Amino acid sequence: MTIEVKDVKKSYDGKVVLEDFSLNIESEHSYIITGPSGCGKTTLLRLILGLEKPDAGTVKLLGDYKYPFINSGTVFQEDRLCEEYDAVTNVTMVSRKVFKETVTEELLKLLPEEAIHKPVKELSGGQRRRVAIVRACAIPSDILIMDEPFTGLDDESREKCIEYIRHKQGSGPLVLTTHDTRGLGFGRVIQMV
Amino acid sequence: MDLLKKVLKKGIPVLLWLAIWQMVALIIHNKILLAGPIETVRALISLSGTADFWESVAESTWRILLGFFVGAVLGTGAAYLAYTKEFIRDFLQPFVVTLKSVPVASFVILLLIWFGSRNISVIICAMVVFPILYLSTLEGLLSTDVKLLEMAGVFRMPRTRVIRYIFLPQLRPFFQSAFKLAIGMSFKSGIAAEVIGQPLHTMGNGLYLAKVYLETGELFAWTIVIVLISFICEKILALIAGETK
Repeated sequence: MTIEVKDVKKSYDGKVVLEDFSLNIESEHSYIITGPSGCGKTTLLRLILGLEKPDAGTVKLLGDYKYPFINSGTVFQEDRLCEEYDAVTNVTMVSRKVFKETVTEELLKLLPEEAIHKPVKELSGGQRRRVAIVRACAIPSDILIMDEPFTGLDDESREKCIEYIRHKQGSGPLVLTTHDTRGLGFGRVIQMV
Repeated sequence: MDLLKKVLKKGIPVLLWLAIWQMVALIIHNKILLAGPIETVRALISLSGTADFWESVAESTWRILLGFFVGAVLGTGAAYLAYTKEFIRDFLQPFVVTLKSVPVASFVILLLIWFGSRNISVIICAMVVFPILYLSTLEGLLSTDVKLLEMAGVFRMPRTRVIRYIFLPQLRPFFQSAFKLAIGMSFKSGIAAEVIGQPLHTMGNGLYLAKVYLETGELFAWTIVIVLISFICEKILALIAGETK
């Protein structure tokens, strides 16, 4: 799959956050979007996901992609978890194509066993972030889109998460925003200003 | 020990009020103006020995609960539709405001002309419960976390799961208070409708006959039975709401 972002412009309340921005996102490639706060990283991801419409320019799915929307495994800027439910339920609830046993196995790759059956509201910020990462990676998807996925993680967890994401990326593209590009040398770094 | 304290804390004021009631009844010394608690219990024992009493209790309770159920289902369903489509919300607004503000008695008289007295309490209860459930459910739905809904949209989460995992936890406190209010209102309005419509073998009819024959003891006895049934239904609903957590 190829996503073509062409000459995109987006502003909020008269403040321009993206201007004439272009990027081609292709399968098997990783894109590490970095830049200062407010430079439009999150806006770009929201445009790709179809959650926002550009003021000018286009975001198109090219090639023989058969669906009208992007089937994306997504990590949002916030965790966006259902607080009352445990990690396993938070991951299984989003898709009928994932099962409890598989999800438990996936969660155990990033989280200690005692954490995965507690309501997520009882988990630490870092643990919740890891649940959000597993949720994005465990469901079948054509692209991984991650907005600051390593927020709140210590260096060791961050490294484990990078390895996990790389392993789960498969043949689809990965688009990831971050302030800190350490350990992300495998991807094409796009500096936004 | 704690339980005993709790019982005493709640029981002593009740006993004091019963004593005051009995004293006032003794002072007035007129069973038509005010029947005392002893007189009321006597009337209750006498009533409960008749088959007509139990038939009235069963008939009224069944009809009121049916009305409650119909109103709750329609109110919740309409709220969901109103949440998904703004024009439905605008369309229903005058209807809900009318149901909320028009006195029950006006509806009862109108419905008596249209449908007769048999099912009056079912329809009135449904009409009273509908706006309560509609407004509470709509408020709950509108206050649902939009970020979670956006997440559900991005992951193409199945609709049934969105309802189960995102909407229902959000709606639970709204449902709990709405059901509590609605069940109490159902019994109040349902019995009022029966008193006006006088369908045979109902608690409302029993109240009406007690008034006609100036049987104040019976009037109080029926009132106690209605309050008791309403209280039991409220507790059962609270239990169900608690168990589905």
